[in-house]
Amino acid sequence: MSTAVEIADARANKFGHQLYAGRARAIVERSLLALRSSTWVPIATGFVEPVLYLLAFGYGMGELIGNVDFGGKTIDYTVFIAPGLLATSAMNGAIYDSTWNVFFKLNESKLYQGMLATPLGPLDVALGEITWALLRGLSYAMAFMAITAPLGLVPGVAAILAIPAAVFIAFGFASFGMAITSYFKTYQQMGMINIVLLPMFLFSGSLYPISVYPDWLEFLIKLMPSWHGIDQHCSSSHVSFFWIFISNLCLSRLVGVSNKVNAFMAWNRISKRYLVLSV
Amino acid sequence: MNSGINVAKVRSIGAAYVAEARISQMMKWKGIIAIVAIGNPLFYLIAIGIGVGVLVNQNSGTSGTGGVEYITFIAPALLAAAALTGAMDEVMFPVLEGFKWRKLFFAMNSTPLTGTQIATGVFMAAMLRVAFTVFCYWALLVAFGVFSISQSWDVVPITMFAAGAFAAVILGITAKVTKEDFFMTILGRLVIMPMFLFSGTFFPLESMPTFLQPIGWVSPLWHATELGRHFSYGYSMSGLMILIHFAYLSLLLIGGLSLANRAFTARLAK
Repeated sequence: MSTAVEIADARANKFGHQLYAGRARAIVERSLLALRSSTWVPIATGFVEPVLYLLAFGYGMGELIGNVDFGGKTIDYTVFIAPGLLATSAMNGAIYDSTWNVFFKLNESKLYQGMLATPLGPLDVALGEITWALLRGLSYAMAFMAITAPLGLVPGVAAILAIPAAVFIAFGFASFGMAITSYFKTYQQMGMINIVLLPMFLFSGSLYPISVYPDWLEFLIKLMPSWHGIDQHCSSSHVSFFWIFISNLCLSRLVGVSNKVNAFMAWNRISKRYLVLSV
Repeated sequence: MNSGINVAKVRSIGAAYVAEARISQMMKWKGIIAIVAIGNPLFYLIAIGIGVGVLVNQNSGTSGTGGVEYITFIAPALLAAAALTGAMDEVMFPVLEGFKWRKLFFAMNSTPLTGTQIATGVFMAAMLRVAFTVFCYWALLVAFGVFSISQSWDVVPITMFAAGAFAAVILGITAKVTKEDFFMTILGRLVIMPMFLFSGTFFPLESMPTFLQPIGWVSPLWHATELGRHFSYGYSMSGLMILIHFAYLSLLLIGGLSLANRAFTARLAK
């Protein structure tokens, strides 16, 4: 086991040594320890929200709505909303961790200042936090699948691919959320995140097909990132295996490119704010 | 030296001073408050009112919503939900801040201000924010043609009253919270969210299984929604039910305020 001094020595004078120590896993480890002692309550309850939506909209609205025509098939309304809510579940998991939690650690508990006093660099912190956010998104998606499958809301085995797809989407949201959060300093500014996320959820096509809107509005909605995620999900469960394979490929490329930019923005901000302290 | 502070005046209208301090705090964020007050209803109306409304209309017409369009059916419920959550934000955060984070209430209490006055002042400021939120929402509903001005104006004070009843309860409960770590998380996700979804907001309460209906009966949102529906588009309701809804909300208002009064006084005396 190497000591902090040894890690720092090994890192010294390498390219980017002030930013990255290759120790992002230490951040994940810290989150895991925190989970055991204190953070399990918000993590467990964060999963409840999409499940409640499923119960309320699936069973309550089922009576008012009945069946939905989608992709040339007529399907039960509850079956229609389940995949969209799975994606929402994964996104929520990733977003909570990459926005409010990062905000709190950055501004209130000053946790990152402590981390940067060790050999860890800002990029380690950003990568570690995004990884943890994705693990949370992944576990939400798997838990949601585990609840919906016995209820008969998952049409086939291929739908299991919705889980990795959801994590890809969550990656995009997590890194973007983190980049934005690094700019915010007050709770009231954080309120803006909710008001940006709300239309993304409501217009994502998870509760109804967006074809109900006039063409111009449909076009605007298709510009939003969440629509791509949800659309891909509905397809993965209802249309065909081939289609999601292709769209997964396209989406992961898109998400990949934007993530590089976002992750860069995030660690750039953290480093600007704290590098001064760590140098 | 005691220039500038009129002790007798502070003793008599202290709550107004506290409210003034709260409002000047809120004014720092007026831009964001305005965006939330207008953005939130706009998104919900377009998404749920129109989007889900099309599906409802295709399937069951207006038979499931008592003969009105789906958007008309959910409008009073969304109005009430926005009022209740807005009111909650403006009592919960200031109280946690006042007792825990910045301990402002203890500073206020070292002047002639009493616990009761501080509690009342916070409540008054929250009600002003609610009035703004409710009015914006209602104006938007009228602009969308969902409500008519002459038939629905009385929804504004009624919804404010319901939001006040809810805010009073939250004020009383929050004043007793000493460990706030999970308080907001649990309140938000295990109380507010189920209340929002299962209070007859998006579909009639009666269409839920019987064992879930008690969630609605205890929920101030359900009582607010029922009253809102009656007064905005003439959803039929017996006089007795109207009385029950008002009585329940009044009970919450009085109970909540007296709880807050006692909790504030006791905690400041420590």
